[in-house]
Amino acid sequence: MSINLNVNSKSHEIDVAPGESLLKALRAEGYYGVKQGCDTGECGACTVLVDNRPVNACVYLTRQAEGKEIETIEASGEHPEQGWKLTEGLHPLQQAFVAGGAIQCGFCTPGMILAAKDLLTRNPNPSEAEVREGISGVLCRCTGYVKPVQAILHAAAVLRGEAEPGEMITPDDIDALFISLPESPAQETSEETQTSVQVLPKVLIAPQTKNWKHVGQPEQKVDAVKLVQGKPAFAADFEIRGMLIAKVLKSPLAHARIKHIDVSEARELPGVAAVLTHKDIPRVVYSTAGQSHPIPGPLDSFSLDNKVRFVGDRVALVAAENSEIADQALKLIKVEYEELPSLVDSRLALDNEALLHDQPEYVDFAESDASRNLAARLHIDIGDVDQGFEAADHIFEHEYSVPKVQQAAIEPHVVITYWDEDDRLVIRTSTQVPFHVRRILAPVLQLPLKRIRVVKPRIGGGFGGKQEVLIEDVAAHLTIAAGRPVIFEFTRQEEFVAARPRHPMHIKMKTGVKEDGTITANEMYCLADTGAYGSHALTVTGNTGAKAMAIYVGDGEYRQNPNIRFVADIVYTNTTPSGAFRGYGVPQGFWAVERHMERIARELELDPIEFRMKNALREGELQPFSTAWSEGREPVPETIETNGLEECVRQGRAAIGWDQKFGIEGWHQVSGKPTLRKGIGISLAMHGTAIPYLDMGAASIKMNDDGSFNLMVGATDLGTGSDTVLAQMAAEVLGVPLEDLIVYSSDTDFTPFDKGAYASSTTYISGAAVVGAAQKVADRLTYRAALILNERGDGPEVNPSEIRLADRRATTQDGRFVTLEEIGQHALHQGEQEQIMAVDSYVSPVAPPPFAAQFAEVTVDIETGQVVVDKLVMAVDAGIIINPVTAGGQIEGGMTQALGYAVCEEMIYDDKGVLREQNLRDYHIFQANEMPQMETIFVETFEPSHPFGVKAVAEIPTDAVAPAVANAIMDACGADLNVIPATPERIWKSLKESAELK
Amino acid sequence: MKPFEHHSPNSLEQAFDLITQDDNNSYYYAGGTDINLQLKSGILAAESLISLKNLSELKGIEYKENNGLKLGALTTLRELQRTKTIYNHYPALSQAAGLMASEQIRSFATLGGNLCNAAPSADLAPPLIALGAIATISSKFGEHKVPIEDFFLGPGETVLEEGEILMQITVPPPNGETLFIKHTPRMFMDISVVCIAIRLLMNNGICNEIRIALGAVAPVPLRAVNAEAELAAQPFSSNNISRAAQIAAEECSPINDIRGTAAYRRRMIEVLVRRGLSSLNENYSKV
Repeated sequence: MSINLNVNSKSHEIDVAPGESLLKALRAEGYYGVKQGCDTGECGACTVLVDNRPVNACVYLTRQAEGKEIETIEASGEHPEQGWKLTEGLHPLQQAFVAGGAIQCGFCTPGMILAAKDLLTRNPNPSEAEVREGISGVLCRCTGYVKPVQAILHAAAVLRGEAEPGEMITPDDIDALFISLPESPAQETSEETQTSVQVLPKVLIAPQTKNWKHVGQPEQKVDAVKLVQGKPAFAADFEIRGMLIAKVLKSPLAHARIKHIDVSEARELPGVAAVLTHKDIPRVVYSTAGQSHPIPGPLDSFSLDNKVRFVGDRVALVAAENSEIADQALKLIKVEYEELPSLVDSRLALDNEALLHDQPEYVDFAESDASRNLAARLHIDIGDVDQGFEAADHIFEHEYSVPKVQQAAIEPHVVITYWDEDDRLVIRTSTQVPFHVRRILAPVLQLPLKRIRVVKPRIGGGFGGKQEVLIEDVAAHLTIAAGRPVIFEFTRQEEFVAARPRHPMHIKMKTGVKEDGTITANEMYCLADTGAYGSHALTVTGNTGAKAMAIYVGDGEYRQNPNIRFVADIVYTNTTPSGAFRGYGVPQGFWAVERHMERIARELELDPIEFRMKNALREGELQPFSTAWSEGREPVPETIETNGLEECVRQGRAAIGWDQKFGIEGWHQVSGKPTLRKGIGISLAMHGTAIPYLDMGAASIKMNDDGSFNLMVGATDLGTGSDTVLAQMAAEVLGVPLEDLIVYSSDTDFTPFDKGAYASSTTYISGAAVVGAAQKVADRLTYRAALILNERGDGPEVNPSEIRLADRRATTQDGRFVTLEEIGQHALHQGEQEQIMAVDSYVSPVAPPPFAAQFAEVTVDIETGQVVVDKLVMAVDAGIIINPVTAGGQIEGGMTQALGYAVCEEMIYDDKGVLREQNLRDYHIFQANEMPQMETIFVETFEPSHPFGVKAVAEIPTDAVAPAVANAIMDACGADLNVIPATPERIWKSLKESAELK
Repeated sequence: MKPFEHHSPNSLEQAFDLITQDDNNSYYYAGGTDINLQLKSGILAAESLISLKNLSELKGIEYKENNGLKLGALTTLRELQRTKTIYNHYPALSQAAGLMASEQIRSFATLGGNLCNAAPSADLAPPLIALGAIATISSKFGEHKVPIEDFFLGPGETVLEEGEILMQITVPPPNGETLFIKHTPRMFMDISVVCIAIRLLMNNGICNEIRIALGAVAPVPLRAVNAEAELAAQPFSSNNISRAAQIAAEECSPINDIRGTAAYRRRMIEVLVRRGLSSLNENYSKV
């Protein structure tokens, strides 16, 4: 039925089914700024204005919009210069989002801006709380909302005429940002509100950075302008003729053999282009883990199998003309299952009668043993743990658990596949690992690698969830079968039941401690649940030990010879397979280690900070696990070159006001609120940077006629800002402003190889490759500058080594210069013609750990168990900070995800293996109006293994929030939690039980 | 999803006719948030959808000091939250609306739709029950009125019969102090673990009228009549407040679900009712 829709003052005559959502109708008309994040009215990514009121287009019937004015982000503003045509430019809100670093992946940005527009129409002068409330219906998983809120406050001031557009960060802010390292400890505490923190974190600078112009500056993200306009930059925003919609028939049973499957009726349904079962495609065993070759884990997966191993496992694939036909086709598939005994509880997994992987094709890795449901096993012994326990005065033993949690990137997994004119398969996909996708899928599809091209457009957040070759094969098989383009997009429900969440674990800690607080031995046993398939099983759990158990080596003689044991069983269960999630096993480990340290300190009546620092790893010592384990490869001992932990503790302690709060009797009470208690807690953390001797990144740089450069990287910006920080490093070496670099990432045909975005390695590994390539280009630039100057002959002969690159010029010591534009034109057109271009690659021999001190302040209602986290302060040594805005955004967003892990996120299965949380209503991620105050402090150290001294920043913020919050809860009310999330009911129960004990 | 028809009748008569002509696979809807989700998930297989949005009889917000508040069933949650008159005279109702869902859902989700969906956790019901609100229901055979406390029959079930439309909610003039408290694991957009609404009228330190309504702790939103009886015609003390709170906790019949165990919910009712009563009592003591 045809109706008239008014969108952005344009009239559209469209055909619409009675139940069709406005989201679908708008995207069909080309309004790709309207994003689909959940399709159930929970995430707000599809927010549009209908008669000036914000609505979620996904649950708004198109028919309801007839006769109303619809406004999408496309009406807000555009690039100011479009060739000879000038426009009014971006809306002040858009300008503020760009200038204030409010955009990470940009997927929720259009919705957030439209929600903010509604707010500012109603209330031109909102408070911070009102801004937070105004955008609370738009979920963001990247930013922690700090910078979007600031951007909206700024835009409001601009619209009131009180501020200049686009000037969110002033030169004064930048001056104030950099603070020299203080000589004396414990500065005065500050009780600043978040509003005054503004968009820049505090950075204690390292002296080496003094003369840099681009590295260390809060540069705007290179992709911000397109994202703020809602441009069709994401995988699903792609139009191609004749594209089919793919859907997957999913298993209703946790464990079953497919006895019989009949797809004949589905195939006959008009509009169905292909239906595939395990009988139709080659049986190729592989691992879906997006890791370097060879995969450090068992090969246990098939695109389609004759067996299903969890509720949501694949049974059949369908491609049809539209999603309604595809849904109908799924219903017409008849499956007869032979139900098998199933296994949901990991504690019963070993040698259970339910055996998940009995297929002969199973390929073991290391100590995996499919006959026992064992996907991987680890046993790492450092020093002599038994002797260490004998030397101890006290032994502390406790058990801890962590739940399965979801990455919940707002953009679901989505892929489009098609044959190009050369019969090569193009895979445009939301991936963190385009090169691994190509390598891993080649055998699965039985295509030579060279006939696959993987394109990674903008990604709407990944957080590890897209480090998995999870959905690309579905679309690819269907494109092969139907000969047509196919799009496959996970629903939000599929994200929950069938993506790759964080491994849940049961962890036992045993620690020997001397009377004076010296740790003599530390042991962890970890039972990790990899779910139905073993991707990342070994490496995630290995990192649980290798990072979280590395930080406390003990004191005195134990510093040189720590006693550490780490044993882990990683088992299969009939639940959603686990995988990579930002932090990669380490948050699980720190939950146990840091809760355990807190208990020890309190039982021995030691100061919790002093006890930790007494035993913590220091500069010049060996990373203990580097002597024993390297992701299943040969270990190489590695010395800690930089460790800012002590300064991090000092800074964080001052920022949160530890000394005015911890152990201070009156502080824990709230006047007039007899049921409230305040508490404060700490947790330390360390992580790693990249995987040594294995993961490689490469970059190429090509010069153009005008002195601009194409920077082409295989590195995968998934919203993190890596394109920007890589460009900043290139800009520093080449002496050009950021706008002269055209960054492209990534495309297996056009960009050099990069392992992808994981293991906190892009700034470090890919960054070193960029610097290498830029250095090679710089060498050509100075060579050619000397050539031109010497041809010109207006001064003494110059040598290339005497020429410096800065401000788009190659300048000699006596002040003569050639512009880069002159060099570009000369090189391409005038003399000794050449394409100035270079490629470089980098593999690291080390994985220098970043360190952090995480502080939390909470208020607990002891009657309801409700916990409100009031403040999070994280002081981080991530080496040199390339961009304080994007790095600060990483910490804020990471802490926010970790806060969800701490207090509200979990995935629970019933005894039939059915997941309880299958949408963003039941699985709650933090909204803008429930955030604590957050403060980030960077303590710079100069890591000597990197040209700009960087270490990783992306994952460490997820490591320590949960234990710091739980330690603060314990400080507040005595509730001593072994399990997260710290829900009100858990705290209430813990308090009730301890009251009953008394 | 089956293919189906869509109607937007312009008069009440047309709306009534559409549903009696059809089989029972026709559904009235207002904002459309829930029906859209139910269609997508396949819970609902409608053949015909009838939008009520053009019916002027279902629109409007009207407040008169003597008659109280009349709310058309199409009143959106956003209007309940942001209309000054409602906020000034019925703050509990305004608060309850403002704590539901998100701004973008409140923009078009309606009062009528929320009540007709009859979720046990529907947050608007407790304040309306506490306020003594009355629903006006129409069909082609006439009109009748039902107190909101009698409107719900079970999860997803109301007194509405085939072909009947919820037209209007009338709320008596404000009488006493009201309060709404919602307890959720996190602060916002969550469905209530439990929620309560209380209206209290004190005269000379004696409880003249009290209504305690509980949400999310029984198949339907509930009035804690025994707890009310405990307090009727008495001055408040910490003793009878605590007793009434305990009685309220015994009166409800919560279940174990994703948002909390029955035991926890029961205790939270006790805590919230005690806090609510104490807070209202304090307000009176201040005057």
